[in-house]
Amino acid sequence: MNVNKLLTRYGTVAALCLLFLLFSIGVQGFFDYGNIINILTQIALLMIIAQGFTMVLTVGELDLSFANVASLSSVIVAGLIIKGVNPILAILICLAGGVLFGLVNGTLVTKVGIPSLITTLATGIVANGLIYMYTKGVSFYSGLPKGFLYLGRGRIGPIPVLVLIMLGILAICHIFINKTVVGSNLQATGGNPAAARLAGINTRFYKVLGLVLGSFAAALAGILLTSRLGAANPEGAGGFLMEGFAIVLLGQTVFTVGRPSPIGTFVGALIIGVLNNGLTLLGAEYFVQDIVKGLIIILAVVISSIQSKRMGA
Amino acid sequence: MTCLRTEGITKEFPGVLALDQVDFELAKGEIHALVGENGAGKSTLVKVLAGVYKPSSGRIFVNEAEVSFASPRDAAPYIGVVHQERELVPFYSGTANLFLGQEMNKAGFLSKREMRAKALEFMKRYDLDLDMDSPVSLLGSGMQEMLTILKILFRSPDIVIFDEPTAPLSVKECEVLFRLIRDLKAAGTSIIYISHHLPEVLDLADRITVLRNGKIVATVDKASVSEAEIIKLMIAKDLSQQYPKIELEPGQEVISVESQAEPGGRARKSGFSIRAKEIVGFAGLVGSGRSELAKRIFEGGPEGRYKVNLAGIPFAPKSPKHAIANGIVMIPEDRRGEGLITSFDVGANLALPRLSLLSKFGFRQEKRIRQRSGQIIGDLAIKVFSQNQIVSTLSGGNQQKVSLGKWFDADAKLWIFDEPTQGIDVETKSEIYLIMQRLASRGAGIWFISSDLRELEAIADRILVMHEGEIVGKFARPFQTEKILEAMLGNQKNEEVHA
Repeated sequence: MNVNKLLTRYGTVAALCLLFLLFSIGVQGFFDYGNIINILTQIALLMIIAQGFTMVLTVGELDLSFANVASLSSVIVAGLIIKGVNPILAILICLAGGVLFGLVNGTLVTKVGIPSLITTLATGIVANGLIYMYTKGVSFYSGLPKGFLYLGRGRIGPIPVLVLIMLGILAICHIFINKTVVGSNLQATGGNPAAARLAGINTRFYKVLGLVLGSFAAALAGILLTSRLGAANPEGAGGFLMEGFAIVLLGQTVFTVGRPSPIGTFVGALIIGVLNNGLTLLGAEYFVQDIVKGLIIILAVVISSIQSKRMGA
Repeated sequence: MTCLRTEGITKEFPGVLALDQVDFELAKGEIHALVGENGAGKSTLVKVLAGVYKPSSGRIFVNEAEVSFASPRDAAPYIGVVHQERELVPFYSGTANLFLGQEMNKAGFLSKREMRAKALEFMKRYDLDLDMDSPVSLLGSGMQEMLTILKILFRSPDIVIFDEPTAPLSVKECEVLFRLIRDLKAAGTSIIYISHHLPEVLDLADRITVLRNGKIVATVDKASVSEAEIIKLMIAKDLSQQYPKIELEPGQEVISVESQAEPGGRARKSGFSIRAKEIVGFAGLVGSGRSELAKRIFEGGPEGRYKVNLAGIPFAPKSPKHAIANGIVMIPEDRRGEGLITSFDVGANLALPRLSLLSKFGFRQEKRIRQRSGQIIGDLAIKVFSQNQIVSTLSGGNQQKVSLGKWFDADAKLWIFDEPTQGIDVETKSEIYLIMQRLASRGAGIWFISSDLRELEAIADRILVMHEGEIVGKFARPFQTEKILEAMLGNQKNEEVHA
């Protein structure tokens, strides 16, 4: 393999290692077990929601509604539990709601034929409306039982439950996409819908499935968000939209250039997590962090697009 | 005097040597024809000369000065190319298209009146009568073609390349074009002329260069050569080698298609059937509805006029999945767009339709997939470094083999091939014919759509001709080429069997 190909495939991973090395050397308290666990905890929710978005991109669609779906799920799970609904039942209701939401998105995209960008922009707005209908704009912040909070705050031995959930979901997504028939058909559907259909693959079904997985992951992330914070507010997951896009885009520059992958998304999340953490420890102001993150994303995408163009030529 | 010369031009694509050490020479003021079969390298050579492709090696000289074209923009001042696809802005007028990129202006404001006057004058110089004021999208295709040519001449390049210019033109428009080309020559312009139509070439050209498999076979003076000799130069092997034909005895009917008469009366009732071990060719012009009919059967669609029976049992087309389950497979014309998942590797593409058979509890059994794909690769002699090679890096012929190889385990009774040999080298073409006949000998019916009448006549057992969506002619061996051509043009309205 020549240098170009190596750089294309592993450039983003190399950048992550470099960042990690620089911060480890230059920033006091960065290379420390507690801090590394801290980074993983910080990216856990973002990584989970972005795995869902990765599935949506895999089938060649977009999702602008996932952050609002997460917020909706976050407030509903809190509201239900506080009202006295069994927490497990509340969680299941929210997850089912996520699936339902994805089905609505998928139906509008495949049956009615509205582009997913527009569909999910609209359904995202509807989700936002539902949030305020349910909460009247008020946050839930007390009365959540300990058992429920364990998901977001507990530890098994030295490792937070949240980190274990994240790693579990990463493993499931990776195996699902790369080792199963369904995962392969999802990729074929996104890779070339016309060819996949002519090969006898029910591409509509897989497009719907991709969108359902996206909303499902969003609902799950919303539940875990409430558990972690011990509270839920109407805009709780709003920030996930931009950051979710960012890490999946970064992830597309990993290994299989131009295509989303679960591992790539994880690498993207790590880059953002390491940057956030390192810059905070350095005492950089929050706006500096945003500027640096934005520039790094542009840089990564520019490098990989130059590389892949060169490979194509 | 030489005005354009190439030295050892070689162009390599992954797996294919499209041009091999081409030394080409164009004299000043001559009409030099390039002929050769599909895939011989004509269009690749044109694209290299026009700066679209960068040659892998070799040098280009214009007026004995070496040039290097990084893009078509670099080549444009020297060489104008009349492509098969037109490069006009559809909602601009002829005048506006003529001046595109070099509009006359006063202080930034367009001088429309002057431009129109100049355009009309330029048009008159070539004795043409074109509508220069309407948006070009409203003009006929012949008129658009003439405008395209005019636009290139307006930039007065020393060298003009015509790449199959007569394809969209009527007979009368062709005559205008030939006159125009001769005028250009008289004015000292050098011309490279590419055409499949040999009588046209012999009529027009001063010299003829024959390409075969990316190499120049010969450059001959028009005066010293006959059409038959040129054909001999173009085709390396004799016909029976290039078009291997295995005679088979047809078996039971595989599919029958019947279309009902339209109430309005334009379309008549017609129908056809394909039997096992039989290869039925579908001839027709572009847009005659051959692919559409095949796609209707394979992909389904709104309730139509067609009644389909598979081995005597009624079949209502619904979706590709449904068709495949009923023993129909299709190899689409657009390999990259519809036949392959270009981001997948060769092994995964071959396994695509039968992934669930090669899995356990939903998990892919990589070993079995690779093993079976490996067998198909060997069976079809697909040239790959490894199964993990991304399919988009293969040559056209090998891509086609992957596209059809994925159906090898589908146990299909009917194989629909839509232009299976388009853009494929001669060698692989013969292999594809053999594959089709091998499938037929195992009992499949073959539905063979092609625009290459020569291959249809060589390989098909029967030929059906379509025109404007209808079957207008049925032909059996031995084929009468003229009659088939007439039917393709729609000159024959009664559907009869010619034997």
